[in-house]
Amino acid sequence: MLDLIDLTRRFGDVVALDDVSFSVPGGEMVGFVGPNGAGKTTAMRIVLGVLQADSGEVRWRGKPVDVAVRRRFGYMPEERGLYPKMRVLDQLAYLGRLHGLDAGDARARSLRTIEILGVADRVNDRTETLSLGNQQRVQLAAALAHEPEVLVLDEPFSGLDPVGVDTLAGVLREQAAAGVPVVFSSHQLELVERLCESVVMINAGRIVAAGRISDLRASDARRLVRVEVAGQAPDWTRLAGVTVVERLASGAVLELSDGTVPNDVLDLARAAGEVRWFGVVQPSLPDIFRRVVTR
Amino acid sequence: MNGAKRDSDRGIYRVVARREFVERFKDRGFRISTGITLTILVGFLVLSSLAGGRARYDLVVVGEDAVEVGTQLERGSATLAFDVTVQELDDEASAERALRDGDADAVLIGGDRIVVKSDGPADLLGAVQSVSERLRAHQVLEEAGVSSDQADEALDVAPLPVRALEPIDERRQQLAAVAFVGVLALYGQLFAYGYWVAAGVVEEKSSRVVEVLLSAIRPSQLLRGKILGIGLLGLCQLLLIGMIGFGTALGVGRLDFPGGALGAIGVVLLWFLFGYAFYASLFAVAGSIVSRQEDLQATMTPLSLVIIASFFLGIQAVGNPDSTLATVSSLMPWSAPLSMPSRIMLGQASIWFALLSAVISVAATAALIPVATRVYANAVLRPGKVKLRDALARR
Repeated sequence: MLDLIDLTRRFGDVVALDDVSFSVPGGEMVGFVGPNGAGKTTAMRIVLGVLQADSGEVRWRGKPVDVAVRRRFGYMPEERGLYPKMRVLDQLAYLGRLHGLDAGDARARSLRTIEILGVADRVNDRTETLSLGNQQRVQLAAALAHEPEVLVLDEPFSGLDPVGVDTLAGVLREQAAAGVPVVFSSHQLELVERLCESVVMINAGRIVAAGRISDLRASDARRLVRVEVAGQAPDWTRLAGVTVVERLASGAVLELSDGTVPNDVLDLARAAGEVRWFGVVQPSLPDIFRRVVTR
Repeated sequence: MNGAKRDSDRGIYRVVARREFVERFKDRGFRISTGITLTILVGFLVLSSLAGGRARYDLVVVGEDAVEVGTQLERGSATLAFDVTVQELDDEASAERALRDGDADAVLIGGDRIVVKSDGPADLLGAVQSVSERLRAHQVLEEAGVSSDQADEALDVAPLPVRALEPIDERRQQLAAVAFVGVLALYGQLFAYGYWVAAGVVEEKSSRVVEVLLSAIRPSQLLRGKILGIGLLGLCQLLLIGMIGFGTALGVGRLDFPGGALGAIGVVLLWFLFGYAFYASLFAVAGSIVSRQEDLQATMTPLSLVIIASFFLGIQAVGNPDSTLATVSSLMPWSAPLSMPSRIMLGQASIWFALLSAVISVAATAALIPVATRVYANAVLRPGKVKLRDALARR
């Protein structure tokens, strides 16, 4: 279990993290979400010791994390960083050695990781000659090659094409299945919803929601209706007791207040045109996110 | 999972140093510049040995009396400071042609005229003149009834001995030349390798790889490894240049005091270490407070000025190694690497004095490194330009 306990960090007058606590159990993949500037990167950098907290601490398996322990962590920073002129394999082997592998292990494992990530044909090229997507795969390999005990990834999916996203998702699932706690930040909430059982939501330096996505959904008492209509969509706000949660291309997700029933919405939709889709839905992760962030 | 062997992180700076050394050694620019330096060095030594030998002159003689002068000149060539080749031609016209074509340096016509192109070599003309004077004096004496032997005796006068109040010390001259080259090499090497440290820090900062590195190791380990690796490469390059320079100079016979030259190379290497260790962490600081190579020149300026000033102090110390200025500058840790080696080579510093200078350098470096490491650690992860004052403060 990786524990972040009461982390607080200020930059001048700005409170970047305000008493942030959450845990990532081994074998679980946790999505870390929040608006830009909410404190995700600051929290991750503190976990990796790249930044110090003003107060609070990080524990791994119940013990405070020091440099020796952190060497066994895998980290992918938001601002990717590799030596532009180093050859891919040399670079990965070097980083593997910094993480404590001996020379032979570092090379062998780097090679294996880079094969899994599909950049094996570029191992002897200078890193700067690779496309950004491939550089990102190398960056990921740098976080994975030393078989870390903990994985902390800052926006690992940004900039990847759909195939890359699937590859990365598969690799992360394997890591979690092997017992590694995996925490990653992302703005792609649908992706987080698809991959993670749990999420941690942060806003303005504070944790605003955390836990299993299913629990968060269940605890969201809103009654939501999703409706799609061909042609001109009606003005839903004509109905008393209806709020638009999310506008879709040809419809909307609506929240019904007490006294309104789904049939009221359906009647209005039928009056407007052919109903393509109608259903009572659970709040999606983006719905929950919007609610806790604007609260 | 996690079956990998992991060594302790105590020696991790060596892994960093290895990368710094290997990556730079593999760099084509480095090899090419080393090659160019060596080519220039070897070329200079070989050329100067060709130019520095005995002068060779061609004398053309026309007519019987002239041939006699030529013969005498050749016979006495052992006592001359130059080599002379005498060639006999039949007439004045072909002799002049030889002069114009550069095949002859001077022409002697009969016993009475010397012809040169524009300005003949003074030492050749002087020798021809004195041989000719002697022959003519001999002739005059014989005509006056003096026997040939007596005439020879009268004309064989030993030259006056010359006593120099300040004789030229060839050994010292050669050592001063070696010392000058040493100062030049140290200056170039300190500058180049200091800059490499700064540029290496900026590269890691601008490429953001430093965040990846520092998630695994401490800033002090990264800095120590970087300084060590780059310094080792600088030392090896200097050693290579020194050895090839020494071998070439020995091979072409330009070195009269090989022992002294070897000692000089050793002293230069040693003070490169002191100087590099002193400056490297400062260059690292200069690199850590900027995030683009373009901004590096500005933050390096104070350091550059100190090194340039120390270079001039070093040049001065070659000329006046016993001056007060040279004594002081050979003790200050920033100028000692450029002043002390030449003073040692020229025999102006006792071993105790050299030791004192070394101790001051090492102590200053030891005091500097923790401060520099702190500034580096504070600045290297901050984006953009960092004020030195902020970096010196907490975190």
